[in-house]
Amino acid sequence: MLWYKAWLETRWRFVFMLGSIVLLWFAPHFLPFFGFRLPPGVLASRIWMAVHIGSVLLYIVAANFLAGSGVNSQTTYAVTSGFHGSMLFTLSLPVSRRRLLLVRAGLGALLTGVLVAVMAGYTLFQRPEGVSALQALEYIARAIACTMAVYALSVLMACVLDEMWQFYAACFCWIAFYLLQSRFAVVSWVSPLRGMTLFSYPLTAPIPWAPIVASLALAGVFLCASALVLQRKEY
Amino acid sequence: MNDIIIVADGLSKSYDGKPALRSLHLEVPRGSICGFLGRNGAGKTTTLKLLLGMLRRDSGSIRLFGEPVDSEASSIAARRRVGFVSEDKELYPFMTVDQMIRFTRPFFPGWRRDLEEKYLDLFQLPRKKAVPKLSKGMRTQLMLLLAMARGAELLLMDEPTSGLDPAMTEDVLQILADLAASDGTTIFFSSHQLAEVEQICDRVCIIDQGQVVVDGVLDDLKSDYRRILLVFDGTPPRELAGLAGIDHLRQRGRTASLLAHGDVDGLVERARLLGPTSLEVRPVTLKELFLDHVRGE
Repeated sequence: MLWYKAWLETRWRFVFMLGSIVLLWFAPHFLPFFGFRLPPGVLASRIWMAVHIGSVLLYIVAANFLAGSGVNSQTTYAVTSGFHGSMLFTLSLPVSRRRLLLVRAGLGALLTGVLVAVMAGYTLFQRPEGVSALQALEYIARAIACTMAVYALSVLMACVLDEMWQFYAACFCWIAFYLLQSRFAVVSWVSPLRGMTLFSYPLTAPIPWAPIVASLALAGVFLCASALVLQRKEY
Repeated sequence: MNDIIIVADGLSKSYDGKPALRSLHLEVPRGSICGFLGRNGAGKTTTLKLLLGMLRRDSGSIRLFGEPVDSEASSIAARRRVGFVSEDKELYPFMTVDQMIRFTRPFFPGWRRDLEEKYLDLFQLPRKKAVPKLSKGMRTQLMLLLAMARGAELLLMDEPTSGLDPAMTEDVLQILADLAASDGTTIFFSSHQLAEVEQICDRVCIIDQGQVVVDGVLDDLKSDYRRILLVFDGTPPRELAGLAGIDHLRQRGRTASLLAHGDVDGLVERARLLGPTSLEVRPVTLKELFLDHVRGE
């Protein structure tokens, strides 16, 4: 039944993110209502680039957002409780902490994957040049794999920090990583952030295994670290 | 079948170097209702959390149901037989009453549907109401339901009646007493309400600064302990403090109040030799016993 709890506590985050994505998609259609008009010279490819950049940013936001809540600092409405929230009730159940993490992080990863697939699919659908099914599948799988590194780091943050800080801390880490990748070639070569975009690795290029493998390895490391932290955590 | 459900031996725990429990020793027999008393910060909640594996102990050992609890696997096995009510009565804010019950039920093979229905009726808990919309009393009731319907052999409760009105408190105390009497459930609960403890507990454990200072059967404690009130012509003599057998001594003006147990008659005889103008021996209440042991005078 842990999946049931994980779904109930994550579903609004999922719906919220889905809503944000849809809003982003329809934003260009609403702009004329607010008096904004795209200049006649703007190329379709430029619009597509904006959509793609927006989607990649949303991959990161979605991964960070869906990783929050549930693992460590379940939202509490009782002001006297400190930061452990309803974790005491969860820990009174006959379940291991590892299983708690596995179910919670597993469901979150699944939902993140769905959101990324939806966003990536829409990005490809909007691409002026057209895309083959295989190319689309390859990119969606790559985007999901690279986003898993972001997600897993956020899970680790959720195990270490209170929910209030988890989101910001994870975002800060990726900003720092972005700065690193622009300075060091090796970081850039394996960067999950570059792996997510079609600018760094176009659809016609060979499959970028380095960022994919690095992302999955990082995700594994972060999840193992999360399990260790949760195992040692006192409530 | 083991007759001692909880055994904590030499249990120590500190937070940032500050000791919360100091070599605590505790034994709770099967089927008993044991009140766990102490001031705020005495170590009650820490003890309960250690029993459930929410905290790691610095040293010492825990046995629940006769089995050592020294790993996560053994803790999980023990938790299948334990119901828990936390101090803050926190439940999942994203669930309704019904969802909380449906979520908790599958973890406990011995879940008692009859008790679930009984307490839902008794507490008049609205199944469809979301947890954040419940009053504090209702949250407490729901948590009690979730703990008691588990079919648990042991209930660990941290101030279970906090937030309940007097009528509901009375009902809950009656339920706990019934559970112990009819199902043989062992109940170990912390409380600041000495009257509640006196009403339903057959055992009492008083903890102060992380150590057990009184532990025993409530009736035995009440019959063992005596208050000896002495009035002198002037200041009580210094020799009074040196008398053997005094647990606690409090002096105010010409009067002295002694708390003693064991050979009270012998102590009374020795106190008489100091020449008080009056000497009175009284039985003690749980409140007196508690206050004398935790005030540290």
